[in-house]
Amino acid sequence: MRELTGYTGGGLLPGIRKHVAVLSLNSFCNRAVELIAESVRGTVPLVHPFGRNEIGIYRERLERTLEGVALHPNVHSVLLVGYEPQSTAEFLAAIRKATTKPIDSVLVLESGTLNAVRIGAEKALWMVIGASEARREPISFQGLIFGVKCGGSDATSGVASNAALGQAVDRIIEAGGTAIFSETTEILGAEHILARRAVNEEVAKKIYRAVQANEEMAMAAGVDLLGVNPVPDNIKGGITTIEEKSLGAILKAGTAPIQDVLGYGQRPSRPGLYFMDSPSAASEVVTGLSAAGAQMILFSTGTCNPVGNPISPVLKITSNPRTVARMKEHLDVDISDVLSGNASIREAGDRIVDAIVAVANGRLTTAEVVGHAEFAPIPVGL
Amino acid sequence: MTASPAPDAKKWLWLHREDNVAMSLFDFAKGSVVHIDGAEIVLKDAVDYGHKFALTNIRAGEPVVKYAETIGVASRDISAGEHVHVHNIKSLRARKQ
Repeated sequence: MRELTGYTGGGLLPGIRKHVAVLSLNSFCNRAVELIAESVRGTVPLVHPFGRNEIGIYRERLERTLEGVALHPNVHSVLLVGYEPQSTAEFLAAIRKATTKPIDSVLVLESGTLNAVRIGAEKALWMVIGASEARREPISFQGLIFGVKCGGSDATSGVASNAALGQAVDRIIEAGGTAIFSETTEILGAEHILARRAVNEEVAKKIYRAVQANEEMAMAAGVDLLGVNPVPDNIKGGITTIEEKSLGAILKAGTAPIQDVLGYGQRPSRPGLYFMDSPSAASEVVTGLSAAGAQMILFSTGTCNPVGNPISPVLKITSNPRTVARMKEHLDVDISDVLSGNASIREAGDRIVDAIVAVANGRLTTAEVVGHAEFAPIPVGL
Repeated sequence: MTASPAPDAKKWLWLHREDNVAMSLFDFAKGSVVHIDGAEIVLKDAVDYGHKFALTNIRAGEPVVKYAETIGVASRDISAGEHVHVHNIKSLRARKQ
């Protein structure tokens, strides 16, 4: 594989981007975040409608996601925009304990939104200038985490693009890297195959338990899962049942042993392949994979899905020639020649690896350029 | 493991020998004829790109097999050459009983 470069320092893992994030800790802070980002070029605004009175798994997911963003390897420095002093100071202290990267905060309750913008904009300005001096250095796959996702799936996903992505994932794992795939609903019907690949009995049980809990949640909600997933565009694309979707979906995770089952946004502790227990809507999954530390998201699509992420580049791969013709502006890797018989799955996998290296080294993805930056820190669906 | 299509047959994919459905790589009109593994199959419905058609007769309640795994059961009798989709397969998972 060609040489990889990234930004080291600040965290334990190297970044492939050097974003200056302006992170809202509370929905009331969103306006200040937006105004700071409009005032200071080179900042990334992160807003969401949460941060007040969440409980249980929702609180846990929100905290883990916001911490994951602040600590993210692709985030060079971070300005927190908090509402009131106590929770903001606690969040800041927790982040400072885990990283040496530039981090600061500003409060809205102290003297209002417009004052927070003036103070925050000046802090962000010096962060952007600091980040501009960061230079790329050689890194290796051992420091990289990849989120692996399929979305807008059709029948081509399950026979070509997921299979080719699986080859690329195998190469990442062989090179000492880490990959996380997700979407519990979309292993339903294929969990027996994944459980056989678990590193031990305990992990196999965790896989079955995650699926069982997901199925029970659907039943308890009185939902016929078939009415929720596959979604209408999957069905139009030729996918009939959740089992069929799952059997095609798991191909994207390659063939490596599964080290463990992670919670939403949870960072893996060692290299290897992981499964993250999560809902399956694209924005929420990509946000969770990014929060888990993934520097890049590898996204296989059939009918296409324009989703991006503010922090982690999302690399879009399709094997559907009609999608290439229709949605080129949302795609990065075209492997439609697999289904016309002009390329093997292995060759397509090589092309994905080449694109991964290029994007790690700084080439922009279409989602980054079009400006897709969906941020959905509390997933609630199936 | 894979019963891949003959080099001249890019209009469909038969993934595994165990599979009783194939995937279309073409917008087939009703009445189209496909030759798979020496058998001639007349498509009894239009079968769009990405959609499935039956390679054999599948009786109501019998498994529909793709990826060498069960993807659901036939919700009614399906004959060879029929479009196989939500109208004649039901999922075995997470359904209201």
